[in-house]
Amino acid sequence: MVELSQLHEPTHTITWCPGCGNFSILAALKKAIVDCNLEPHNTVIVSGIGCGGKIPHFIKTYGFESLHGRALAAASGIKLANHKLEVIVVGGDGDGYGIGANHFIHASRRNYDMTYIVQNNQIYGLTTGQASPTSEKSMKTKSTPFGVIEQPINPIALALAAGATFIARGFSGDLTHLSNLISQGIKHKGFAFIDVFQPCVIWNHINTFEYFRKKCYKLEQTDYKPNDKFEAFRKAFETDKLPIGVFYQEQRPTYEDELPQLSTSPLVKQPIDNIDIQKTLEKYL
Amino acid sequence: MSTKLENIVVKFGGEAGEGLMTAGFIAAKYFQRTGLFVFAENDYPSLIRGGHNTFTVRANTEKIYALDGKVDILIALDKRSVLEHINELSANSVVIFDKKLEGELSQIFTNKNIYPVPVPLTQHSAELGDLIYSNQIAIGSLIGLIGGKLEILSTILKEKFSSKKEEILEKNLAAATFGYDFVKMHFKEPFELPIKEQKKNYYLLDGNDAVCLASIKAGVKLVAEYPMSPSSSILHWMAAHSQDYGIVVKQTEDEIAAINYVLGAAYAGVRAMTATSGGGFSLMTEALGNAGLAEIPCVIVEVQRAGPSTGLPTYTDQADLLFVINASQGEFPRIVCMPGDPAEAFYETFNVWNMAELVQTPAIILLDKYLGESFQTVEIKTDNLVVKRGLLQTDQEMENAKQFLRHKITPSGISPRSIPGQKNGLYVASSYEHDESGYSSEDPLNRVMQIDKRARKLSAINPQLYQPVFFGPATAPLLVVSWGSSKGVILEALKHLNRQNIPIRYMHIKYAIPFATDTVKEALVSASKSIIFEGNSTAQMRSYIRQKTGILIENVCLKYDARPFQVEQVVNEIKKLYQSQ
Ligand SMILES: Cc1ncc(C[n+]2csc(CCOP(=O)(O)OP(=O)(O)O)c2C)c(N)n1
Repeated sequence: MVELSQLHEPTHTITWCPGCGNFSILAALKKAIVDCNLEPHNTVIVSGIGCGGKIPHFIKTYGFESLHGRALAAASGIKLANHKLEVIVVGGDGDGYGIGANHFIHASRRNYDMTYIVQNNQIYGLTTGQASPTSEKSMKTKSTPFGVIEQPINPIALALAAGATFIARGFSGDLTHLSNLISQGIKHKGFAFIDVFQPCVIWNHINTFEYFRKKCYKLEQTDYKPNDKFEAFRKAFETDKLPIGVFYQEQRPTYEDELPQLSTSPLVKQPIDNIDIQKTLEKYL
Repeated sequence: MSTKLENIVVKFGGEAGEGLMTAGFIAAKYFQRTGLFVFAENDYPSLIRGGHNTFTVRANTEKIYALDGKVDILIALDKRSVLEHINELSANSVVIFDKKLEGELSQIFTNKNIYPVPVPLTQHSAELGDLIYSNQIAIGSLIGLIGGKLEILSTILKEKFSSKKEEILEKNLAAATFGYDFVKMHFKEPFELPIKEQKKNYYLLDGNDAVCLASIKAGVKLVAEYPMSPSSSILHWMAAHSQDYGIVVKQTEDEIAAINYVLGAAYAGVRAMTATSGGGFSLMTEALGNAGLAEIPCVIVEVQRAGPSTGLPTYTDQADLLFVINASQGEFPRIVCMPGDPAEAFYETFNVWNMAELVQTPAIILLDKYLGESFQTVEIKTDNLVVKRGLLQTDQEMENAKQFLRHKITPSGISPRSIPGQKNGLYVASSYEHDESGYSSEDPLNRVMQIDKRARKLSAINPQLYQPVFFGPATAPLLVVSWGSSKGVILEALKHLNRQNIPIRYMHIKYAIPFATDTVKEALVSASKSIIFEGNSTAQMRSYIRQKTGILIENVCLKYDARPFQVEQVVNEIKKLYQSQ
């Protein structure tokens, strides 16, 4: 059994602003790791760059803090090299829906067995307040002083279209609910995507804790069933009220399942010190 | 009476999409099977159908390193091939062509000393049901004209078409036999080539396949790649062999993904690689630095095409040298290896895998289209190849580890490396500067210590492994310098110069990093004159050598028409310099 205290990283100072939505995401993630009883040495937390990307330093597991936008690509390599590892990917909305959007689409359709949590604060935090792909239309930011012109990305709809097999949304103002979503994501076999409303108390004065508390409602408290893709699309485009919870889940073989190369043991366990290439060489005679 | 030859050059010409490359390759294979040494190169534009393709094969009873000399037999699958290559023909040459063009071409042939061999290529292939069989008829004719053995050709065809339907094999065999019998019946045999016992351990390989074979031998487990000529054959080869060797080959969404997959996989403990050309490598540069900073060993194969930008996708160049040496922001150690032929591509690739893991840093293998896709008979022995994984820790070693520091400052700069799954080895691999534990740090002292630690690591590589290769007498006054794929053409040129009693010392540089500074400097100082040959317009290696040694090589010969050097050009260039002494 893992205990919460084991995951604690006492020497690393957390560098988020007081009141940042990332604190509860960190707490929710730790709780999910404990609830799912993941072993720290068999767990890798992969992040990109951004405020939230620092998360691997605050949990005692293996970690990979990759380049801005590249967390999913690095995580995919880790998963293919050792599919027995539990791989959890965390990053911001700029990281995942902007610079890394291409990897998000392709990791979704490949259905790698991993969990992807996006700290969606609808702003670029670490770089001090520019517009992000999820900033709302007309929002004024440092890079859009006259208001954002384009439409925001709809991450849930995007994940649905791209073929992710577990799609959910959480709110960092509701730790227990969020932690439960992350646990479900971890337990889901396939690509589990969780978009998290994460208020940025410094740079985003529109999408605040207050704002989300008023607007969010829980899907599981309605008679919604997360097994119909078209219904899920409909839900994804609701804006008056904002649904949180599981939008969609399906069972589909993972990418790793389909590879006979991985059927006996993970790549990393396969011996490489005496590989015989003679038979192949002979084709060149 | 047929002329006995020790050397032959056969050129295939035709439209793209006509199966000409396969035909040329089968001819190359035939010579290889008859115990000759072979060199073969192709030339094709970046399109799928139409356009003019050639495949040129040279075979010799002695070891050869490049094409040299005029074409003895031209196999022209269309009229354009005759018109375009007629001036490359040797004094007593043969042209095999389609009989239906006889009327149009006869005038051209009578003006030259050419032996025309019209063969009903289209007519008979149509009878067999597909024009594609023209190729096999032509090869059959070729074998017939050189006193060859049809059985050897049939064996090659059987191997080649074994996975296809029986009928396809039958028709290919019938086509080859028809061509063979046809020329035997209607023409005298102009040439005779010796048929010898095949030598053990000699293989007909191109540079890209050599890299693949060596990487498999070295234990690569993950290959992530995005297609880009002229590197794509590596992706195809690896994919085709992935299940035989239990490796995962992933075509990713782009090159940025490819290199980051590689970083992730290597971090998780497997040998991982990617291959690309200059454009894709440009996209990989940021992650290259991440590998350097986070001390992740991996291999990147860069098969140069002629750039910049999309450039000339299927043509060759040596213009990315300084780019790969300097790519990515900041400073970190990397390995840059430039093999000169498929044998070196094989052995150095194997070595580079070990070096990368020894010093826990990225390694770049720089090939080019000419080396990547040209075939050469080379000797390959795998007996003494030992996989060495440096300070990668075993599960056992980590069992009792205490306070593990992934980036521990050590005298060599190299630190023990744990991988996920190992107890007591937890750490974060980061793209940020970090302290010994892996935790982000902006401390100035730590920064200097980590930079120095990483830089020190290259010294751990045994200098014997990255020395230049020398040919010719050390006392020769004239030193010829080159790097990468120019090696073969220069070695052929040296044969000519040798025959003319012009002594040359030749230094082929295999590694840019680590660089054998002392050796290179000494060679330059002891020569009274030196010249460097490079396939770029700015003499990049010359600048680099000057930067490293302070010595400027006074003479340069640069070729940047996107084609490889020609032996004749190299011979003339060196002679000119020699005579000016
Ligand atoms: C290639 C590259 N471009 C730009 C940056 C600078 N940068 C760092 S984080 C970031 C965006 C941060 O926004 P987000 O991903 O939403 O994360 P947050 O900080 O809001 O958590 C940017 C643009 C970078 N590190 N790398």
